[in-house]
Amino acid sequence: MEKKRNVAKLLWLLMFFSDIVPFSCEKSMRERALELMQDARLIDGHNDFVLQLRILYQNKISGVNLRELNKTHTNLAKLQAGYVGAQFWSVYVLCSAQNKDAVRLTLEQIDVVKRMCNSYEELELVVTSQGISDSRGIACLIGIEGGHSIDSSLATLRMYYDLGVRYMTLTHTCNTPWSESSSKGIHNFYPSVIGLTAFGQEVIKEMNRLGMLIDLSHTSYSTVKAALNISKAPVIFSHSAAFSVCNHSRNVPDDILQQLKKNKGIIMVAFNADVLACGRKVVNISTLADHFDHIKEIAGSESIGIGADYDGVEHFPEGLEDVSKYPSLIEELLRRGWNEAELKGILRENFLRVFREVENVRNTFGVMDAGESEILQEEKHSCRLDLGKPQAQPSRSFALSSVAQPLSLTLVSCLMLYYEIYGV
Amino acid sequence: MPAPHRPHPELPVAGTGRGGSRPGTPQHEVSSWTGHLHVAPCHSQKRHQGPCWEGHRGWSQHPQDGGASVSPRDAAAGPECGGSKRTRRSSSSPQHGRATPAACPRACGCSDAMAGVALGWLEPIPAPSPHASRKSSFTAVAGRDCPSVPGPGRGRRSAEQPSQCVCSHGGGRSPLVPSNTQQEKMPGGSVWVLVLALALPSTGQQHLEEAERIMSTTPVIDGHNDLPWQLLRKFNNQLRLPAANLTLLNDTHTNIPKLRRGHVGGQFWSVYVPCETQNKDSVRRTLEQMDVVQRMCDLYPETFACVTDSSGIREAFRSGKVASLIGVEGGHSIDSSLGVLRTLYRLGARYMTLTHSCNTPWADNWLVDTDDEKPVHHGLSPFGKTVVEEMNRLGMMVDLAHVSVDTMKVVLNISKAPVIFSHSSAYSICPHRRNVPDDVLQLVASTGSLVMVNFYNAYVTCSDKAKLSDVADHMDHVKKVAGAQAVGFGGDYDGVSGVPTGLEDVSKYPMLVAELLARNWTEEEVKGALAENLLRVFSRVEEVKRSLQGTAAHETPIAFEELEGPCRTSYGYPNGAGTARAPPAALAPALALALLLAVLS
Repeated sequence: MEKKRNVAKLLWLLMFFSDIVPFSCEKSMRERALELMQDARLIDGHNDFVLQLRILYQNKISGVNLRELNKTHTNLAKLQAGYVGAQFWSVYVLCSAQNKDAVRLTLEQIDVVKRMCNSYEELELVVTSQGISDSRGIACLIGIEGGHSIDSSLATLRMYYDLGVRYMTLTHTCNTPWSESSSKGIHNFYPSVIGLTAFGQEVIKEMNRLGMLIDLSHTSYSTVKAALNISKAPVIFSHSAAFSVCNHSRNVPDDILQQLKKNKGIIMVAFNADVLACGRKVVNISTLADHFDHIKEIAGSESIGIGADYDGVEHFPEGLEDVSKYPSLIEELLRRGWNEAELKGILRENFLRVFREVENVRNTFGVMDAGESEILQEEKHSCRLDLGKPQAQPSRSFALSSVAQPLSLTLVSCLMLYYEIYGV
Repeated sequence: MPAPHRPHPELPVAGTGRGGSRPGTPQHEVSSWTGHLHVAPCHSQKRHQGPCWEGHRGWSQHPQDGGASVSPRDAAAGPECGGSKRTRRSSSSPQHGRATPAACPRACGCSDAMAGVALGWLEPIPAPSPHASRKSSFTAVAGRDCPSVPGPGRGRRSAEQPSQCVCSHGGGRSPLVPSNTQQEKMPGGSVWVLVLALALPSTGQQHLEEAERIMSTTPVIDGHNDLPWQLLRKFNNQLRLPAANLTLLNDTHTNIPKLRRGHVGGQFWSVYVPCETQNKDSVRRTLEQMDVVQRMCDLYPETFACVTDSSGIREAFRSGKVASLIGVEGGHSIDSSLGVLRTLYRLGARYMTLTHSCNTPWADNWLVDTDDEKPVHHGLSPFGKTVVEEMNRLGMMVDLAHVSVDTMKVVLNISKAPVIFSHSSAYSICPHRRNVPDDVLQLVASTGSLVMVNFYNAYVTCSDKAKLSDVADHMDHVKKVAGAQAVGFGGDYDGVSGVPTGLEDVSKYPMLVAELLARNWTEEEVKGALAENLLRVFSRVEEVKRSLQGTAAHETPIAFEELEGPCRTSYGYPNGAGTARAPPAALAPALALALLLAVLS
């Protein structure tokens, strides 16, 4: 009985301290986090808000108040509350648009980012590291999610760069004719592609030349290895987490993290509950912080950034429900002993370092280095007009075969359609 | 003259085939899959399904075509496309206010040597004889002067040049037989031999010098040149290939030395992708063509300056560079997307031709004015009007070359800014449906718009032969009907196979300017046609853009039902779930039919 009373007393004391002491401590942690973020406002690597604009509004944004929109993880008020200083807006088009209208859809998404960022005074389009540094509002940057957006065309890649695109994720969840995705079994595109093909290597070189960041999220292990070997500039993972903490195919294993450190690139850690917790029921800020701790241990804090993936997935850790919640993560990391320099690094400085270096590498190239390679065999598909060879031999064609030709094209198209619709 | 493998975005007209094609023996080329299908019998049929789908065949001539078995294409294209050019020609001649423009060129001239000068083959010609008349070439039909051209004349004097045509090389007058007498003397085909003869005013040299003087300060801004298309076809846009050196390039109408000699100070490079890319990869191909123009500027910075506004053109004039601008030829390039239109503008596109030789889901092309196609939109659909409004808002010029007359009229009525015809000629002079009829020319005048005259033989004379003076006839006509401020140059070089004698390539603009001077165009009028008219239209378009600043972008997408093709996803459309849906009931027969035909073939 006595023992029981003592235990109760102890419990009460514990409860008392856990109520009082941590409270005052937490308050100061919160303040420290906010002060820190005021100083070093976040550069987030990946946000799919503009995908939501297509889904919800067909990109008709002039009638929508993006400051207060509440159907999404993101709105402008929440971005401000979350101390976001720069956002890479993801320009994403679905894999099923590959070899179809991916280029048009990509341009439409670029257009909506530009219109959005031009119509709100708190937003500002920038295309350089200096632009981010100088921006007083929320700097808007554009990242393309998925190499299928260029339709195997270096010229298209260049035009995207001219439009302001500053990173491209080499794949989404489908292989392209030149790069392998980490996702298997979702799409059936180009199953024989492993890593980067010769053309894929040209894409890397051209991105280096242009000064476009190479994003390796979503790509396969072989692709990552190849890209790290070829790239003359540091790379990023715009939204991935640590494989050792959660062995999801979207995450980055330790040996790559070590190589990333050598490359001086960064992994911008995603908040996507599925890749953080691998199906565990309770996913909270601590779960996310475990990934940060692990990557710091393997590759150092200078290899880390943040790319939450808001509006791109459904499930986020408790306490990180929308873009206003970033300070809670910083608070947690402070509590785990991260110092201010490390935190400013992951919030902002590490990314700026990478971006500046990518720009430096760009400046080492000349106009004569523009990539003129073209993909030859892989890219033929029914939605692409075959121009033939410039010096083609005369050939004869009669009615039947010329009727059959387009119809056999139609056949292929119909089959593709069938596969798309029924997800075969 | 044209290289054997030159494919041309401008439609090739039946009977205008290269080399041996002769009037009356249709021997047309089928340039496989380009924008050329529209002259084929499939015009009246659904895209991609007609028997003339020639895809995947490369750039082949088609010797089996034509000859004895006249294909329906000839029947369809004949009246408009030069198949019956004699009747066309004679029927059009009486329409001239002055009969001479038609008649005069049939006399002969000696401008080949002049051409040689312009091309740099010959030494500069000394000052013209003192008695040289300032009268225009067609005021002296009977007994007109032959220009005096000294020197050995290494110019390409054609063997076909009529022997009756005597050019004195001593600077004296050499009276010529009047053209109608010639015709009487030489019946039948030999008339056409005569047509080959060149004509320049007797004071050609003086006018040429004056032209050069004017053009040294006001170089020509040409509305349409298809060199980027040639770069794609010949080199797959690989500009660093040794053969693709733009200074040495010699089987195109355009290269850097020729541009220099032609005093070209501004060029709208045509970003053209074939109609057959519509609903397929037109957007990507358009981006690739825009990229190659950009790289031309990057690789030859001493020659080209890529600019995007009227002040940029003037700046390039001052720095002696070729102001390079981008015109998108064909509304199919935007794939019915205002977002794509806006991004193309951001990438530098400053005009868009609303159609090429195919309808888009929102605009009718010129073929609906022929027997080949039926009107669909009777001009523009509601979405098409939105496209024009958005172009006004963006500050992109609307180009009405290639569209139907209804489309022309609708646009001229709704556009808030003046428009251009980047490469069209006068219908009254050559009644080809690609040309601009007089009532539209009047609208051009009242809206301050511009017709940049096309040099393509088939649009100049409605035949496969034409001369420099024939082009001047068009300019005279546009001037007469719409005013000199409505005239411009839109040579369509490297987009067509047959260009007039005397205007063989982009070095020849001064010769045409000399002809205009000979026809009593004032210096101001000439400067207008060369550059100022385009600059006026462009500036006005920019003003309208400024006046609309602050208005919201047009956002309503085209209805999904208005679109077609299996290469389209419906993502974002209500009920769209990622891909274009085809009703399964329709899918099955289509599959069966396709299979059957595949087996049969």
